[in-house]
Amino acid sequence: MALIEVKHVTKHFGQKVALDDVSIDIPEGKIFGLLGPNGAGKSTLIRIINRITMATAGEVWFNGRPITDEDVAHIGYLPEERGLYRKMKVGDQAMYLAQLRGMSAREAAYELKQWFVRFGIEDWWNKKVEELSKGMAQKVQFITTVVHKPSLMILDEPFSGFDPVNADLIRKEILRLKEEGATIILSTHNMESVEELCDEIALINQAKLVITGGTDDIRHRFGEDNVEIEYTEDFVRKTEVVSQDKASARLTQLIEGGIRINAYRELVPRMNDIFIKLVTEGEGK
Amino acid sequence: MNFRKLGIIIQREYLNKVKKKSFLLITFGVPILIAAMYAVMILIMLRSGGDNKRIAVIDNSGIVMEKLEDTKQLTFTQLSETDPEAVKNRLSEFDADILLYISPLDSAAKSVTATTYADKPMGVETAEVIEHRINDAVEDYRIASYGIEGLDQILSDIHSDVRLTSYTVDEEGKETISQSEVYMIISMALAMMLYMFIALFSGMVMSSVIEEKSSRVVEVLVSSVKSTELMFGKILGVALVALTQFLLWIVLSGVIIGIIGGVIGMDKLTGGVDQSQIAQIQEMSMTAGPSIDLEALTDTTAVSEAPTGMQAVLGTLSSLNFTQIIVSFLLFFIFGYLLYASLFAAIGSAVENEADTQQLQLPVTIPLLIGFFVAFYAFRSPESSLVWWFSMIPFTSPIVMLARIPFGVPTWEIALSVGLLVLTFLAVAWASAKIYKVGILMYGKKSTFKDLWKWLKQS
Repeated sequence: MALIEVKHVTKHFGQKVALDDVSIDIPEGKIFGLLGPNGAGKSTLIRIINRITMATAGEVWFNGRPITDEDVAHIGYLPEERGLYRKMKVGDQAMYLAQLRGMSAREAAYELKQWFVRFGIEDWWNKKVEELSKGMAQKVQFITTVVHKPSLMILDEPFSGFDPVNADLIRKEILRLKEEGATIILSTHNMESVEELCDEIALINQAKLVITGGTDDIRHRFGEDNVEIEYTEDFVRKTEVVSQDKASARLTQLIEGGIRINAYRELVPRMNDIFIKLVTEGEGK
Repeated sequence: MNFRKLGIIIQREYLNKVKKKSFLLITFGVPILIAAMYAVMILIMLRSGGDNKRIAVIDNSGIVMEKLEDTKQLTFTQLSETDPEAVKNRLSEFDADILLYISPLDSAAKSVTATTYADKPMGVETAEVIEHRINDAVEDYRIASYGIEGLDQILSDIHSDVRLTSYTVDEEGKETISQSEVYMIISMALAMMLYMFIALFSGMVMSSVIEEKSSRVVEVLVSSVKSTELMFGKILGVALVALTQFLLWIVLSGVIIGIIGGVIGMDKLTGGVDQSQIAQIQEMSMTAGPSIDLEALTDTTAVSEAPTGMQAVLGTLSSLNFTQIIVSFLLFFIFGYLLYASLFAAIGSAVENEADTQQLQLPVTIPLLIGFFVAFYAFRSPESSLVWWFSMIPFTSPIVMLARIPFGVPTWEIALSVGLLVLTFLAVAWASAKIYKVGILMYGKKSTFKDLWKWLKQS
């Protein structure tokens, strides 16, 4: 079942069209990748989903009915343009944001302490934000996004600013949250993490929805139906790409020739290539 | 509006501002400064004749010396020398601070020339006293030169000393003494305070908006709360800061003045009963406040039953409608602040750092400044139509109306002015909230008024 249904959403800023009749279903309990080049309309769509901006036309449904202000309490949003009050203490700030997200002071303090321990940052509680590095601040921001246990998390470029170790920490947390049943919208330019994390994606370009569906389906759809055969001939490893329909004939030929087959794999295009292909095609139009 | 969230926003805004060092500095600094000024004035008042000037006089005219009577501050001694050159570089040998040289009488012009020599520049007051005395001497000489019998008597008979005593008569025919200078000072003080507070606290709202935008925390916030809740939470939080500051100022000033009073002696502070004390207070007012023209009050020897200066001041103060002043001050401050804070919030939302505010801020600051200048015209002619209209126009009314109030303003006019102010605030707040909503998420290019107008229409 879809947790979020974006139904024919259009957004105009004066003369400029930011979103043009976009419809997307975001299934519950999945990680959904929202892709697109800069300025495509992703941030606008995200802001419409969490009701920061209102759509010019169309609707967003949450849990099978039109979304309301109250539903926003069940959303955790980590914007791309994110920051913290520089002069405020980390703990005070986390408490403030958690309370604005609807938690009571006691509940917020309890949950935040647990998260701080899990991220190994419990010593920072009384530090001022300006004393933190960018990566450290990002950790605090991630915590404040998820502390109120939202059923939907919208993470806009969650990995930017993290070193590989901390990026991995965040990746694991995202997967853990998914296992706990949360739905996650991931907007990113990092195509590797899309392949690794996202169950479904939607690609937006120039205000329009270009493609949406399961990540694997899309990758296969864009494949040219080729397979790669790797074998050893005269003690030399070789690889060969052949189309699917000729694959069995070639394989038989190799085996009959007494050649050892090392690997046989279906060639699926990288998400990165699909992205570039679709976006440049769109620009060509 | 979600009032729970609004409360959380107000609380953070308030605590954040109140805990700042600058808040503590202003809160404690201002009353201490006021108290220090007060203390200095009292010290000047209590210091009677402590700073004597000894003046050596070479009088070659023969008419001036007899007019140079010693005063508390000045002692005159005639020297036997006739040449100033012999004395002017050796003042200390003659036990003098100042040498006053009077030329021989010019019988054609019936006048003298006078010159002073001193190590240090002379005070204005000393110079005035000396000049005054010499002129008296020359005038007396000229009168005498006409040889009219009994002229002295005639002159002293025709010398008039009329003082204007003003009473304000209310509807029930009750007379209260009024002193226009007192009204003027209160009018100026009220207008100035209101101008300063509105500018100070609206500016605080703007900085706070800019801080959230430039630190990029704002988008996180508006995903949890409505942008209007955020904006009004901010404005109300700062309003509470302002009220806290007022309250602390009043309390602290009271405490400090109380302490000073305890140390110096309360009777010396109020000192209303003793004639010499009154004279001292008046003397002090003359020297301490150049803008305060109390000369008319200083002649305590006036024969008529006209009230003395201090009585007039106290009488005037008691004639003021303090309830009206305080209630109006609070109403006009609160709504004037709300009006300007909304405008400044909208401007803050359009820029990314304080440096970019100049251009957008100007058109909003101008009405505030106009109000300020009209207020200074208000005490000259509080009834003029210019002042009346500016006390009604919402953007200037808080300041100008406060300047008018000490002179008496009918309640209906105050009510009308407040009403217009509230309506304007509501309209401006509505528009500002729309601009703010779009503005806080706009990054990149510098915004102009055209952009603000676009945002207003688009949201």
